[in-house]
Amino acid sequence: MKNTQLLTSLRYVLLGALTVTTSVVQAESIAITNATVYTVAKKGVLFQATVMVDEGKITAVYGKDEVPESLSADTIIDAKERILTPGFIATHNLLGLVEVGAVSDTRDSSDKDADITFDASLAFNPKSTLIAYARKGGITSSLVMPYGGEDVITGQSFVVNLSGDFDSVIMPQNAVIVSLGASGKGSRATKLQTLSNELEDAQKALAKAEKVKASSKKEKEEKEAETPSRSELVLNELLSGDKPLIAYADRATDILALLKLKQKFNLNLILAGASDAVLVSDEIAKANVVVMMSAIDNLPSSFDSLHNSLTNVAKLTDAGVKVIISNSGESYNINQLRFDAGVAVANGVAATTALAAVTANVADSFNLNSGRIAVGKNADLVLWSSDPFEISTKVDAMWINGQAMSLKSRQDALRQRYIVETDMPRAYTK
Amino acid sequence: MLSLGLTACLPNEKQDAKVVINKNPYPSTYQALPSESTLLTNATILTGTGERINNGDILLVNGKVTQVGNNLSVEQATVIDMKGKWITPGIIDVHSHLGVYPNPEVESHSDGNEMTSPNTSEVWAEHSVWPQDPAFQAARAGGITSLQILPGSANLFGGRGVTLRNVPSETMQGMKFSGAPYGLKMACGENPKRVYGSRKVLPSTRMGNVAGYRSAWLAATEYKRDWDKYDSDYSAGKNPDAPKRDLALDTLMGVLDGEILIHNHCYKAEEMAVMIDLGNEFNYHSGTFHHAIEGYKVADLLAANGNCAAMWPDWWGFKMEAYDMVEENVAIVDAVKNSCAVVHSDSATTIQRLNQEAAKVMYRANENGFALKEEDAIKWITANAAKSLGINDEVGSLEAGKNADVVVWNMNPFSVYAQAEQVFIDGAKVYDRFDDKYQAKSDFLLGQQLDNHVSKVVTQLEKKSATNPATHPAIKPANKK
Repeated sequence: MKNTQLLTSLRYVLLGALTVTTSVVQAESIAITNATVYTVAKKGVLFQATVMVDEGKITAVYGKDEVPESLSADTIIDAKERILTPGFIATHNLLGLVEVGAVSDTRDSSDKDADITFDASLAFNPKSTLIAYARKGGITSSLVMPYGGEDVITGQSFVVNLSGDFDSVIMPQNAVIVSLGASGKGSRATKLQTLSNELEDAQKALAKAEKVKASSKKEKEEKEAETPSRSELVLNELLSGDKPLIAYADRATDILALLKLKQKFNLNLILAGASDAVLVSDEIAKANVVVMMSAIDNLPSSFDSLHNSLTNVAKLTDAGVKVIISNSGESYNINQLRFDAGVAVANGVAATTALAAVTANVADSFNLNSGRIAVGKNADLVLWSSDPFEISTKVDAMWINGQAMSLKSRQDALRQRYIVETDMPRAYTK
Repeated sequence: MLSLGLTACLPNEKQDAKVVINKNPYPSTYQALPSESTLLTNATILTGTGERINNGDILLVNGKVTQVGNNLSVEQATVIDMKGKWITPGIIDVHSHLGVYPNPEVESHSDGNEMTSPNTSEVWAEHSVWPQDPAFQAARAGGITSLQILPGSANLFGGRGVTLRNVPSETMQGMKFSGAPYGLKMACGENPKRVYGSRKVLPSTRMGNVAGYRSAWLAATEYKRDWDKYDSDYSAGKNPDAPKRDLALDTLMGVLDGEILIHNHCYKAEEMAVMIDLGNEFNYHSGTFHHAIEGYKVADLLAANGNCAAMWPDWWGFKMEAYDMVEENVAIVDAVKNSCAVVHSDSATTIQRLNQEAAKVMYRANENGFALKEEDAIKWITANAAKSLGINDEVGSLEAGKNADVVVWNMNPFSVYAQAEQVFIDGAKVYDRFDDKYQAKSDFLLGQQLDNHVSKVVTQLEKKSATNPATHPAIKPANKK
């Protein structure tokens, strides 16, 4: 951050009249030069570095003295030593599924009949006004996590980019979500039992199918009529470890129970919420389980969350747990993810660790080709006016798949309408 | 005066300050938009007074119509040739729920019907108006310059309606038609008896409806008597106790005092007759009957009693009281001497084409023996509507001295192809079909459909560096074709 003084003294202002194109992606090549690049990759932090982008992908990352003799690009951006990071990846939100929470017609995030096959990505709205606003926080993609019906398994998450394009859904049905813990009605034991039983039944069915596979041809034909159901297919993906299982759980006992299930069924488990994870951080680290949690929840909001604390992210990372920082629940202010990461830093987390917690750790957990500035990765990039976690900082430019994104939201249009001088009613100002 | 009274009558008793009901606690802050003197020439003008002027001119100065006629010649006015165009007064809708049932039609926006008691005279529609309802803009593009926002029809007494100027504003007060009388929404027939009957509360029948009205008017009559007595005693120098304020009865007393006009959702002939008698029983005027689908059956009675009837040309059939529709209803009501036939919308879409609604009536009636012309039919959505709302001294017709509320149409407005091209309110242009500058956009819609992508945003951001060599001399701009 040696250049902070210089950077803040310069005024980079986005001009009001931006040239706007259609949503057709242009395969423009870009060279971002003279940047302080937080790669969140092997190269670490590079100063006065150059990042090359072509066809929506990062094609080269050069340190100060590594730039080849001859290079060209359609657009060259002098970053003026500002910080370039991978686009932040939000998690645990309802982006594009809910426009206004209190308006039932705009809520597509849950369904009473939702079960393991619930695919809310079909309802995703890339034109939601929340998306443009989220971009202002450097968010380029999101793991959207619907909440489902009455089943313990509530559906599947999906991944989107924030381009606002109709092809924004990158990965539909990418992880199964289960919700454990305190239950207003009945016992939490039932949920755990149900989950365990469903996995066990699926495992038995799989073993049976394997047996049939190995048996005589005639028997095989007889059995072929029994094709697995849709939910069985998903359960099988869980059992093979192909598909992550995101489990909401706060109380340590629930977390331990999940770790047992992981071991028993070889699950690719990711803990979400995890307020009391600090009580069992060593066990979580040993099980190599990623924790997706808030960095700012510090109130004992329930009897399952008595250990909420601002230092939880630091404690878990110190114990060797890989953490994903998520802002929780609603989607209206996911742009503030960067501040939550800043709070984590203020409470003992290394800045690079916090940056990974909103970029690479998410990408690694969900097999996304983003979250790092490295060759071959999607060119989801953010150029910041200064320290990305700092409140005084703003996003100066953003690319998703190498396409420059507007940083204007509905809120900007509203504010502008009410601050310009006019002798006509505001409604005529557009 | 006070001390004189005291000395004269009761030298020993000191009067308390007089209790006075503030009848205008949410006053209009409407101000006309900027305007300039304008002479519109060579148009076909329907004045709203039954007159048609071919090749006519109209002069708008300081927000008023100052002259209407042929071959006007003035200095110091912008002259706009309107050859081929038609000019009418601003269109007025007497029955609208814009702002109280706005778009988008979501539960959070449902503010038009206080369905909690058969008598909610204490509620005022103006307190529910969302000025950012995009439908106000759409209505303006249809030539609507004034409109009455009414509460819904679930209750016997739905509350007060408010008359608005159709200008963009952040506040209801900024739209409020200054000096327009309040309206009291009443409802006859099927709605109240259904809503409360299903709750086992009076009314569950039409006779229950009328019992409900009569009980309320009885209470209002006593309330008024108390206030009148208080006023006269006070004037006489006594120091009486003021009656206890009652918001619902304040509204009903306003009707008894002739200050608030009745707007009565009432479809059926026999019910309108009962409502007229009800007004006579309690000594108030029964005002305008809205949705008067059976108005044609009692056209004489309505005219004799001075009632306006606000009607659709062709809405019908959705309930028994809407079953006896005839498309000539408005024309039949209109044909009687001293009548007041109005075409209304009750709809955020129909309000955008009230000219077509009037046209439907005119043409169907003419096919069936009437001889109506455009200059007659325009009154149904201008002058008669203004009369119904008690604002006809100011708007509703194009006459010298009236407010310059003007619509310029690209052709005969009784054509399905007609479009309002320009709309003026108080002489100020508030809408222009061909000029984005005069096309207001609601805050709600602002920024809803932003373009997500930008090109060259960074180039603009870095304008200076674009002219300088890049920091790394090795990197060159690619050759463009």
